[in-house]
Amino acid sequence: MMFTRPFGFELAGHWAEACDLLRRHGEGAKVIAGGQSLMPLVNLGLVQPDVVIDISRAAGGRHVSLAEGFLTVGALITHANLAADSLAAGTQPLLGAAAGKIGNARVRGRGTLGGSLAHGDPAAELPLAMVALGAAYEITDGHRSREVKAEEFHLGYLTTALAPDELVVAARVPRLGPGWGWSFQEVSRRDGDFALAAAAALVRIAGGVIVESRVAVGGVSDRPVRLADVEISLTGATVSQIGGRLGPIQGIRPVSDTSASAGYRARLCRVLVARALAEASSRSEEAA
Amino acid sequence: MSAEARITLTVNGREISRTAGAHLTLLRWLRDVAGVTDPKYGCGEGICGSCTVLVDGQPVSACLVLAAQVDGATVTTAAGLLEADGSLGPLQQAFHEKHAAQCGFCTPGMLMAAAAALADGRRRSRQEIREELHGNLCRCTGYAPIVDAIEMAQELRWPQAGR
Amino acid sequence: MAAGGPVSADGAGPGLPAGIRTSKEDELRVVRQPLPRHDQAEKVAGSTRYAGDLAFAAMLHARLVRSPVPSARITARDAGEALAVPGVVGVLFGEDVPHNVIWVDVPGQTVEVAALKASMEVLATDRVRFHGEPVALVIAETEDALAEACDLVAVDYEELPAVFDPDQALSGGAPAVHPQGNLLGEWDIDLGEVDAAFAAADVVVEGSYQTQCVDHAYLEPEAGVGWLDDEGVLNLRVATQVVEHYRDVARILGIPEARVRVIAPYVGGGFGGKEDMTVEPYLGLAVWRTRRPVRMQWTRQESLLARPKRHPMRLRYRTAATREGKLLGQQVDITADSGAYAYLSALVLLYSAVHACGPYQVSNVRLRARCAYTNNPPTSAFRGFGGMQVVFGYEAQMDLLARQLGLTPAEIRKRNAIARGDVLPVGQVIETEVLLAQTIDTVLGRAGAKPRASGPRKAVGRGIACNMQSYGRLVWLNDSAAAWVGFQLDGSLSVRCAVPDIGGGQASSLAQIAAEILCVPMDRITVHFGDSALNPLAGTTTATRQLLMSGNAVYEACVQLRDSVRAAVAAATGEPADSLRLEEGMVRGQTGGMRLADALLACRRGNVPIEALGTFFGPKGKPVVKNLRADRVFPDFTFGTHLCDLEVDLDTGQVKLLGYVAAHDVGRAINPRSVQGQITGAVAQGLGMALLEEVVVADGTNLTSGFFQYLIPTATDVPEIDAVVLESGEGMGPFGARGIGEPPIGPPAAAVASAIQDALGVRPASLPMTPERVLECLTRPGPGAGPSA
Repeated sequence: MMFTRPFGFELAGHWAEACDLLRRHGEGAKVIAGGQSLMPLVNLGLVQPDVVIDISRAAGGRHVSLAEGFLTVGALITHANLAADSLAAGTQPLLGAAAGKIGNARVRGRGTLGGSLAHGDPAAELPLAMVALGAAYEITDGHRSREVKAEEFHLGYLTTALAPDELVVAARVPRLGPGWGWSFQEVSRRDGDFALAAAAALVRIAGGVIVESRVAVGGVSDRPVRLADVEISLTGATVSQIGGRLGPIQGIRPVSDTSASAGYRARLCRVLVARALAEASSRSEEAA
Repeated sequence: MSAEARITLTVNGREISRTAGAHLTLLRWLRDVAGVTDPKYGCGEGICGSCTVLVDGQPVSACLVLAAQVDGATVTTAAGLLEADGSLGPLQQAFHEKHAAQCGFCTPGMLMAAAAALADGRRRSRQEIREELHGNLCRCTGYAPIVDAIEMAQELRWPQAGR
Repeated sequence: MAAGGPVSADGAGPGLPAGIRTSKEDELRVVRQPLPRHDQAEKVAGSTRYAGDLAFAAMLHARLVRSPVPSARITARDAGEALAVPGVVGVLFGEDVPHNVIWVDVPGQTVEVAALKASMEVLATDRVRFHGEPVALVIAETEDALAEACDLVAVDYEELPAVFDPDQALSGGAPAVHPQGNLLGEWDIDLGEVDAAFAAADVVVEGSYQTQCVDHAYLEPEAGVGWLDDEGVLNLRVATQVVEHYRDVARILGIPEARVRVIAPYVGGGFGGKEDMTVEPYLGLAVWRTRRPVRMQWTRQESLLARPKRHPMRLRYRTAATREGKLLGQQVDITADSGAYAYLSALVLLYSAVHACGPYQVSNVRLRARCAYTNNPPTSAFRGFGGMQVVFGYEAQMDLLARQLGLTPAEIRKRNAIARGDVLPVGQVIETEVLLAQTIDTVLGRAGAKPRASGPRKAVGRGIACNMQSYGRLVWLNDSAAAWVGFQLDGSLSVRCAVPDIGGGQASSLAQIAAEILCVPMDRITVHFGDSALNPLAGTTTATRQLLMSGNAVYEACVQLRDSVRAAVAAATGEPADSLRLEEGMVRGQTGGMRLADALLACRRGNVPIEALGTFFGPKGKPVVKNLRADRVFPDFTFGTHLCDLEVDLDTGQVKLLGYVAAHDVGRAINPRSVQGQITGAVAQGLGMALLEEVVVADGTNLTSGFFQYLIPTATDVPEIDAVVLESGEGMGPFGARGIGEPPIGPPAAAVASAIQDALGVRPASLPMTPERVLECLTRPGPGAGPSA
């Protein structure tokens, strides 16, 4: 039914073991956790590994904790658990909102944060949320850890800063102070489909004007794009002035494919940024 | 590195141990190795939902899980919703009465998605039921009788997903 | 929108599902009951074994190697490396096929219509004409071996010029897809005085519409298992709508037809996509060569790539009317893309031609319908079969006229609705009652007030669309169906009929009909279906014909049986035969009764058979030729109206369906829940074509390679559908039933387009109506708002 060439299977009990196995097997090795990104490619014959390394049952790495102003999210947490996590919801609701929009219950029940981040689909919700939040990823090769900012991790279409023997262990999300509002907007052809375009925004309003904002978009380039120009132009604006200050969105390179044209994606991007800013602003005003 | 794996799964209450290729998805393992053919192959992409089974109570696309990843788990398929005497369980009974199966190919997966959704005991509106089902495709019914059936099962306060 | 609840004003009792209305009194006990279907218990138990669920010991697996290019000469083929893969048993090319040709020869069809003599190869030898065309068959011990071996079959292709647009294909100088040229079929209608009618008209409206390539997307990809039985007969248990393909397989293998058997188990959806052969010839070949059981399972991606699909059509209409809205004339030009091989294209276009003017009376028609070969994926049968694409055209024209004349969409349709005694442009007289106006009133009545927009950047619209769709096959195809019904000695009943059951309750309806006439409870009736060797043949499960054909065959057999039993009991008891009634377990007369089991014994003693073969012959007619004119083309038609409410997001173009009502006159609803299920299923499929689905082919390369790209409606894409069943009692099926499998797929795209026009003032002219295309409507100038439905 799904014509796949046989491959080997290795169970990794912990991160270091997985990284060792990656080194040992080289190019023909693929890591699997939830399998929601890898297995469709395997089933369709687009990826033909020699061996698959399973980290889905590796120790630790699947919890949310809060310390020193950072929310740390273990890479093995499933989207469903992230969406339902009360600590994440209380600290940074954007994360759960983004996770909740992924696919359907089956995808969310198995798919992991680490899998989504490492896969690098430009329309994926969690990489976009992480870029918007200014998060950083903790990466290990089994011996050493390093930290890479989300914006510098997602390099292009299905391309990340991971070396062949590295794995994402956790995401560290800076805790924003009081008064911030958030919003996650996306448009897809059907519920749960890949986003044609998506926007994540965080806004802090004080004294009736936008004091700070963070805005990023997905699905309109080969990676999530932080809209620094937009953020700058919004500083000092009242909510009613947002529309006027929002010019054409720069720095995006949408593509045309069987789902939508580049022009439509660009247009959607602007609409979704405006909606995200409006919703984030009203949440910020409520929070105050 | 193992090219073969000995996997033990408790499928609908019956323990099955087999040695087979380590690359087999749970779907292929169930159908071709264990002879459990109610989960169906519909797309291999995890989109159509025809292969939905419960693994330790959670709905998964069996085509996207390697059997080796869930060694030792409990698996429930549509046949596992039957009563001990082989008669239809309450959810299946509701599907039967409401004509929720036409060609029936999506039905085993649809039943498992419904069973998983209803397990939390929460009463859902028709729209919420549709949202729970949006990951299971049906080409014959237009979904209406399936929503009817799940609404009916809710009314009967059927208790728990799987065995 | 009105909530569900019995609608009847005519005394339909409680217990009928919401939406059932009767127009006649009757005493039916079993027919018209929403009984659970007997196949459904097994389906919900998960125990039904579909074509891919059966496995044999020592079973082999087979897979096709397909062309990666749309147009090429094959210059070399080498199986050496593939054969070296452990587990590979054989690699077959076209030369290994005893008769490497498939004729387009649907059973019962004559060859008097020239276009239907087209053929194609089982495995291509010299040329490939579409992306995905089969070139080799690989047989191996395991599916894993196939995965490797198929990649190693070496085929060299020298690409040839190709054509991908049907209009271009028909213009001079285009590369010829087949030696005889690219025009595959043409049908013309010339009725009345068209030029005079247009000259005299108060208003003429024009439109050009484009429908897209759509895939059946049944949940069960093509599959089957074949084996040789103890008699050496080739058995093929396959997902099919046509068991009569055993004849085609026999021809391909060069063996007698009596040595091939096709078994159709419950099929996981057909919709016309399993009407032509799929795995049959390849399984047959593999079993014949290896003498071992073989299984073949197509992948979804293979199905999307290579199965024949729905004909994309360009529809050009000019419609003339008086200022009161009466139609004076129609000029219609249809060009359809047949893809690389003919399959059933000529017949599909015939349906388009006959249905092109819709359920409206018009006396002056000039129509030309042509289908062209291209190097695109082949196109063939798909629910609606050409009669549904044209709905998008003729309903758009009616709405255009309505706007021009200041009439509502409902008014203009009622003014032109065809009625009993009217003559269709092709020449067929409508002989049955037409409830079109009633279906229009029904949907408007049940829909209630149009919803309000949910915000300032949203617009709400309401649209209606009517259609007619034939049921039963073309009358000159000499259609027939047979069924055998027999009592067991204990009074239980066996029905044998080779009808394939593809999910529409085909087999179950036969049980219900038998239960009605012979008073045997449903749980004491067994229907043996779908077996070409063991059951009387009933023809294809297509063309919305099975209720008409096998239903009537069972009806006839049961009537024969009932009369036999009554005659035997009359002879035994002296009671007059026509005073005897069959009841459950009894034969009852004026003075007493006899147990059914005793009555059956009386039959045996009196040499009266307790089984009967019923054969139903469809209506007859002369074959039509290119200039379409016939007293009768189809047995009859089903009429209906749909209504759609939707909201458009003016910033994104997204369409949210708020409500939907569908009303059809089904003559008599044998099983009302089954009928409603057919309606809601067809509406969902129609909405998919309207808004979501498209097989994208670019320069002959089929880019649609999975369900992540081919988007069919999910439970949140389909709104609540109020499916209303009207029963005129005037169909030609048993108990006055009309066919309902295909008709409801026609109106949805037109109803949605109509609603978008109501919301935005502009109507999308091509399908699917994606958010992007809807947004384009906002920037296009339009005639502006007109009266709402």
